[in-house]
Amino acid sequence: MTSQSILLVEDNPDEEALTLRAFEKSNISNEVVVARDGAEALAYLFPGDGDGPRPALILLDLNLPKVGGLEVLRRMQADARTRLIPVVVLTSSKQEEDILDSYRSGANAYVRKPVHFSDFADAVRALGEFWLLLNEPAPSRGPESD
Amino acid sequence: MTQLIPLADGMFVALLEAVPDAMVCIAADGRLVLVNAQAERLFGYERAELIGQPVEILVPDAARAVHPGHRAGYVADPRHRPMGAGLSFAGRRRDASTFAAEVSLSTIDTDEGILVAAAIRDVTGQRRMKDLERSNHGLESFIYTVAHDLRAPLRALSGYSELLLEEYWEVLGEEGRGYAERIVAVSEQMGQLIDYLLQLSRVLRAELHLQSVDLGGEAAQIAEEIQRREPLRHVCFTIQKQVQALADRRLILTVLQNLLDNAWKFTSGRDDASIEFGTASGGDAAVCCYVRDNGVGFDPAYAAKLFQPFQRLHAARDFPGLGTGLASVRHIVERHGGHVWAEGAVGGGATFYFTLDGKESA
Repeated sequence: MTSQSILLVEDNPDEEALTLRAFEKSNISNEVVVARDGAEALAYLFPGDGDGPRPALILLDLNLPKVGGLEVLRRMQADARTRLIPVVVLTSSKQEEDILDSYRSGANAYVRKPVHFSDFADAVRALGEFWLLLNEPAPSRGPESD
Repeated sequence: MTQLIPLADGMFVALLEAVPDAMVCIAADGRLVLVNAQAERLFGYERAELIGQPVEILVPDAARAVHPGHRAGYVADPRHRPMGAGLSFAGRRRDASTFAAEVSLSTIDTDEGILVAAAIRDVTGQRRMKDLERSNHGLESFIYTVAHDLRAPLRALSGYSELLLEEYWEVLGEEGRGYAERIVAVSEQMGQLIDYLLQLSRVLRAELHLQSVDLGGEAAQIAEEIQRREPLRHVCFTIQKQVQALADRRLILTVLQNLLDNAWKFTSGRDDASIEFGTASGGDAAVCCYVRDNGVGFDPAYAAKLFQPFQRLHAARDFPGLGTGLASVRHIVERHGGHVWAEGAVGGGATFYFTLDGKESA
């Protein structure tokens, strides 16, 4: 059930609109699904009745209501069906602990949101181009045996 | 019950006077039978006013009613209770003022029956320090949280004004574009202020990893990098070699970077610019370093203001910057137990000094 969609986990509507706008400005035309907190993201990935959708890329904020970003990462790591989805932590924190915790919890990249929209748009375009076009994703063979 | 060696009366009293804490002895009926000079001083009574009085005279009014019960409880089960063993009390002075006290209790078996000996220490100062540390720590976390949370609205502010400029260029007209550009510009400034606050909270909270650092070698490297950024400027750097200091390497590099950047910036108008790094004698400090330049200098009347955040002594259009660099320098140096000061004159260059103690300050 690998799709070419992008899952954006972001609770701030201003940030959401800016990120969507940044995607529009880039050449990335993949569908963007938005989850507004960690619980919504988990509910989307693990719908409870069988396999959930497998986004091609997840952009994850850390500081989220209900279930935080790190917990989402840990839950995804603990499940073979979601373990190999690339996750980019996209946050305004540059705390060393946050960066370390993110990598330890299985993040594939950590990007601090630049203040300027033009820089942010560049970052989003670069992320999309790298993870959706350049990077070779893990082959999907259904649930893994481990 | 404690009595190891029988003591002559005089010897016991002499011992009582020799201890640093206030001591009182209480008979089985709760009356004071012995007090030392430290107790007189601590509670503000003359000895004669205390002897024969119930010990409750030394207990704050609010706790007086329950105190005899506590006393009876202790006599029934008289284990030695040292200071810091959870016995936090308040004491009451003669003038009815109170103070935080730590009390240790033990019993003395005498011919006249069991005496309870209490040593009392005024811990108001320690309590206040602890409260201060706690509130400081709270403040540091608060700075971090506020600064961090300000970034989100700032990003929206900056982002949407940029989008306005990009997508509504025509509609806005020249004046409108000018306004939007101002918003973008001040957002940029605000972003730097927030970064300063984040850095400040990092400096205040960071654990110092002290190691031996060659400040001269590091300064030379920073100077080289600065020169590389602007290869057309000619500046004469004189850097003293081998200046060893015990410091947190990452933080002390920020100090050197800021001071050398400043020197570079404020000599930009001179063809014969020179910047010097060296050591001076700094009183008791382990190391005293300075960075000297022959740039525009400053009015010594404002020397103290230099190290305050967001203070600038020069117009932003002449010398860009936020006025946070020297404030960071001060915070870092003070974390190292040192201090900073500056000497200069308008048009006469500036010298910035900092000392390092080789120890971490609380």
